[in-house]
Amino acid sequence: MFDKIAGRALVPVGIVVTGFLVVCFVLLYAAIKQVVIRDSIGHANNLAGIVLKSTRYAMMKSDGELNGAIIRNISEQNGVQHVRIFNKKGVVAFSSKPEEVNRQVDKKAEGCVVCHEKAAPVTTLGNMQKARTFKNAAGEEVLAITAPIYNEPECANAACHFHPAEQKVLGTLDIGLSQEATLGSLAAIRMEMVIFSILTLFLTIAGVITLLKMIVLVPMQKLQEYTEKSARNSHASRPTNLPYELDKIAESYYFIRTKLNETEESSFKTVDDAPVCQNK
Amino acid sequence: MEQADNNGTEAVGHAAYAPQATLRQGLLDEIKLLRRFSNRGLWALSLFLVVSTLAWRDFWFLPSPASVVASLGAPPTPMMISLVLVLYTFSAIILSLSRMMSGLRHKSSFCHVGYLGGFYLFYYLAEALTDNYWAVFGAGFTILCLESYRIWTFCSENITRKLEQLAFLERNGRLPPEEPDLSE
Repeated sequence: MFDKIAGRALVPVGIVVTGFLVVCFVLLYAAIKQVVIRDSIGHANNLAGIVLKSTRYAMMKSDGELNGAIIRNISEQNGVQHVRIFNKKGVVAFSSKPEEVNRQVDKKAEGCVVCHEKAAPVTTLGNMQKARTFKNAAGEEVLAITAPIYNEPECANAACHFHPAEQKVLGTLDIGLSQEATLGSLAAIRMEMVIFSILTLFLTIAGVITLLKMIVLVPMQKLQEYTEKSARNSHASRPTNLPYELDKIAESYYFIRTKLNETEESSFKTVDDAPVCQNK
Repeated sequence: MEQADNNGTEAVGHAAYAPQATLRQGLLDEIKLLRRFSNRGLWALSLFLVVSTLAWRDFWFLPSPASVVASLGAPPTPMMISLVLVLYTFSAIILSLSRMMSGLRHKSSFCHVGYLGGFYLFYYLAEALTDNYWAVFGAGFTILCLESYRIWTFCSENITRKLEQLAFLERNGRLPPEEPDLSE
């Protein structure tokens, strides 16, 4: 394979095109994945904000029943895995799963440790830091947002119950969203990109093979056949029209061959015409 | 007297054969060197596979990215590293193809392993190695395969030429005249 022109030309082309396409494909997919995940985190953060705004009035009124109803209704929405509200001590105050209510959560658990890693807990988090992903018991990928519920002047001054004004965080909202749709979209993008890459690869290699064969290999074969034919016959015929520089090579070969034949013929003639030596 | 003449003839013979033997040995040494050099690309590829295995296991022996970032500062963003990786891959391929075209003897394979190891490290520090591992692996495999192919073709062409020179030397007792460069 490597002894032939086709092999020597196609191997580097194949390696280069395939490799570069794979590198670009992986990087492009990683960039798209990052954008899609960042967007879905943004949407989850917005949803967490909506939940907090929805429960704000009920919290101000200290209406547990209304809060519970809001949490239950939101959790019934398609794609919402869980909704929980923790108080300052880490006890579940409201949850979409009634069995979780009044249960204490370990501060070292995933989702809590982000703020409670050090002795003094962090009170402000960026959008990306609020998010975490994990697999639930059913094996589904879940994106969870932990949003702090900040103390506001209305909370500290409310008549129903009192939060000291210096307390920055009153509790946290934990909302989990199924990542099934996002992962499905990513899988579809990946499949489309793989098909596109394979088609590009095939087209490039087929194009190179076709051009190589048309421009180089077939004319080279014609030249080879012409030289072999001329080598067999003592009287070389003029070369048929070969393309590009190969025509010049064939013409040069024809010229050399004709000169050689003429020289051979003249030398034979000289030997035949020479006088026979008398003094043997 | 006859003995002395014979000795003299032998000495002249040895003197005549000595340069031929030296040339022959020189050619054999060069062939040996070229045979050894032709494996260079494959050694670099093997070393790259070892580095990739370490990266696949997430560089367990290195300190965590968070502690490195705490002491050295934030690494470049994954997007920036990816951009540089694409530029590097493109340049390395073009450079390798140019060397292939001009038939240069250049042993650059091992430095590519260093550059690629650097990319693995930067992605590790940016905590984006999982997503971009196959990009670095693909880039490395492509560049090093191309380099191996370039070195191998260069060596096999030169070995064939040296073997032809060796055969000519053994037939005629001298090296063949230098071929004119037809490309000029």
